[in-house]
Amino acid sequence: MGQYWRTYTSAAPLAVFRLAFGVMILGSMVRFWAKGWIDELYIKPTFFFPYYGFEFIKPLGDYTYLLFAVCGLSALLVALGWFYRVASVLLFLSFTYIELMDKSTYLNHYYFVSLVAFLLILLPANSYFSVDAYRNRSGFYDSIPRWTIDSLRLLMGIVYLYAGLAKLNSDWLLEALPLRIWLPGRNDLPVIGFLFNYRETAFAFSWLGALYDLSIPFLLLNRFTRPFAYAAVVIFHVLTAVLFPIGMFPYIMIVAALIFFPAGFHQKILSGLSHLLNLPDLLSGSKILIYSKQQSRFLSSFLIIFFIIQILVPFRYMLYPSELFWSEEGYRFSWRVMLMEKMGNVQFKVVDEMGQQIMVNNEDHLTKLQEKMMATQPDMLVQFAHYLRDYYAQRGFRNPTVYADTYVSLNGRLGKPYIDPTVNLAQETDSFMPKKWILPFRDEIKGL
Amino acid sequence: MVHFSWKTVAFFVAFVGVIWACSTSKDTPDPTPDPDPNPSNTGTDRKLLLTNIADNIILPGYTNFKTKFDLMLAKSDAFAAKPDQASLMAFRQAWVDAYTEWQKVELFDVGPAESKTLRYFFNIYPANVTGIEENIIAGNASLELPASYPKQGFPALDYLINGLATTDDAILQKYTTATDAAKRLAYVKQITTQMNTMLTAVLTEWTTTYRDKFINATGIDVSGSLSKLVNGYVLNYERYIRSGKFGIPSGAMANGVPSAEKVEAFYKKDLSLILAKTAHQASIDFFNGKDVKTGKEGPGFKTYLTALGAKDSQSGKSLVEVINAQFDASNAKLGTLKPNLYDEVKTNNAAMVAVYTEMQKAVRMLKVDMTSAMSITITYADNDGD
Repeated sequence: MGQYWRTYTSAAPLAVFRLAFGVMILGSMVRFWAKGWIDELYIKPTFFFPYYGFEFIKPLGDYTYLLFAVCGLSALLVALGWFYRVASVLLFLSFTYIELMDKSTYLNHYYFVSLVAFLLILLPANSYFSVDAYRNRSGFYDSIPRWTIDSLRLLMGIVYLYAGLAKLNSDWLLEALPLRIWLPGRNDLPVIGFLFNYRETAFAFSWLGALYDLSIPFLLLNRFTRPFAYAAVVIFHVLTAVLFPIGMFPYIMIVAALIFFPAGFHQKILSGLSHLLNLPDLLSGSKILIYSKQQSRFLSSFLIIFFIIQILVPFRYMLYPSELFWSEEGYRFSWRVMLMEKMGNVQFKVVDEMGQQIMVNNEDHLTKLQEKMMATQPDMLVQFAHYLRDYYAQRGFRNPTVYADTYVSLNGRLGKPYIDPTVNLAQETDSFMPKKWILPFRDEIKGL
Repeated sequence: MVHFSWKTVAFFVAFVGVIWACSTSKDTPDPTPDPDPNPSNTGTDRKLLLTNIADNIILPGYTNFKTKFDLMLAKSDAFAAKPDQASLMAFRQAWVDAYTEWQKVELFDVGPAESKTLRYFFNIYPANVTGIEENIIAGNASLELPASYPKQGFPALDYLINGLATTDDAILQKYTTATDAAKRLAYVKQITTQMNTMLTAVLTEWTTTYRDKFINATGIDVSGSLSKLVNGYVLNYERYIRSGKFGIPSGAMANGVPSAEKVEAFYKKDLSLILAKTAHQASIDFFNGKDVKTGKEGPGFKTYLTALGAKDSQSGKSLVEVINAQFDASNAKLGTLKPNLYDEVKTNNAAMVAVYTEMQKAVRMLKVDMTSAMSITITYADNDGD
């Protein structure tokens, strides 16, 4: 094992990854801005759902635009490998800040981006084909420790493998849910649309999807299967992009999976780019980046801890007695993607000591997206209940109590009450402890 | 070695899987029929569904309404030309007919009706009596701003032909001998003209450009017609039938304090139940895809849900059955009410609240179970699976 940390490899794959990743994030930021989502999601709303422990992270009013600009600019600098250390730290901080502002915009791929950005802070991704190495030759290395590239591969592998494990459940495999619900909605696509009228298609997609996620990291590692595996990556993600509104995720994964290709492949990309853009020589030279013993020890122990956490966190749901898909206790940050068609409706009632009572119109306080997300997630329901308690306390309600009349449907099961309607949510707290006021699912989804 | 062979196995499994998938999905030109009565590729054809809804429900629905509305316009003009007992009675009857027919089109809250907010110019109640009287005195007041919505439409006419005084003679006096009689007649004309302008604009857009746009927007995203249709339909059922006609007057939605004066057709009084029943039945018929002219069921929410195989996986009952049973339950509660909902709130409010409660159950089925089964999107934002 000690030997492993002293194995060296070409810096080209990491340089390509840095460049592609930076460009993708810059693109994401531009897309987000251009669609007007900064205003719609982070400036217009009056209430935001913070993450537990990160309640101090809030949108910055009009300065939120500045935050996105900082994120986009640091992504560009990372891509170029220019002021890389500062830029990579800024990219991680600004991107993660954005994602922590409101839970209702949670996406697994944002979490993935945050994790990659975090790893990039530690990795010597600017040592090759970068402005930094061009301006300062002493920072140029064409060979870097092998673990730097392997750590990105490992992270990708975890994402796929866990996404695959999460699909090993009875709804997905035996009922083809939720794909059976979603796919007919795309039957108006040209050429392939008619396929989605058949239940068999949903089953084929479910099984192949699970198989794909579980096997793709291994198939990408093996040099014989790699070309086919990468073709599968492209087909799979392009298909998901066509079928579902999942934004940049497919493209980020298609680009990121290139990290599995060998150095020669990346070297070709870089010399091709150099030639195409008529760049000065950023590639020749031969120098190995060797970390000092202390650096090496620090980085290796840090990474080991990081990955142990990554491997354990998705399994934290096992600590909760409830059905995961129903209560969503331990659902986020676990690579559970496209697993549920879940929809809900909630009517809050605020009552005060004097018997004064009001039925809340959620739309007065929340965006459609926030309302939709809240209706099926208990931690958000209790956060909003607290907001209502404080809101009405300021408006003359004495010691207001808050009750939620809820109705949630999961993967085609007829909706049923979700939260105990007799529990005063104003007094309940959000924590990592099991939430006893979530009503039982009264059904079983077998599997992981 | 073991590692390598595992990978080989994985690869072959994947490979065979791909072959299998291709063969199952492509080599079945004549697929085994679904258990559903409708072949899945016509039942889930959203263009067929939208075409039926446009051509056999929405457009003929508007045509029927326009006939009744035009008649009301004529009677209103006749009344203005010669305000007497006979012309007042004729105007009132035409108003009743048009108002009732309106209940069958208010739910088409999609396309031009939605963008022009047709409902706001036709049926926002309770009428703002003070505002109406101010408008009459002022003459030519604007009827465009939100504050003016309760000063126009059917509810304002209700006040102007049924609610000005307790006797018909006294009402007629307001239009004949009273000092502002001419202004009052002018205001009636202004309201009916406004309604006519809005309705004409909506119908024109439907018949010229929107019909084709509507049937071709087959996506299920926010910009798709089905999504807009469902959202408008559910909103109408929830806010304008459940809340407007029952929840608010009965106080079920507001602190339990009833406000009988907030019933629909407050001045006519004995019409309120008919309006509510008509609106409710229109929602049921729309759900079942009932052709407005022939009364036969065609492609609609019902056939679509059936073709999707939407059912409660726990009880095995089809979603369509479950929803129609809930509509029946609401109808049963509606059946216990007397025609004058104002009196019902005053003397039999528990029955009003009971209707609200039953309708609330239907709201959730429509809003959650139906919308989820159709996988309708409600926002543009990225989503990686709820």
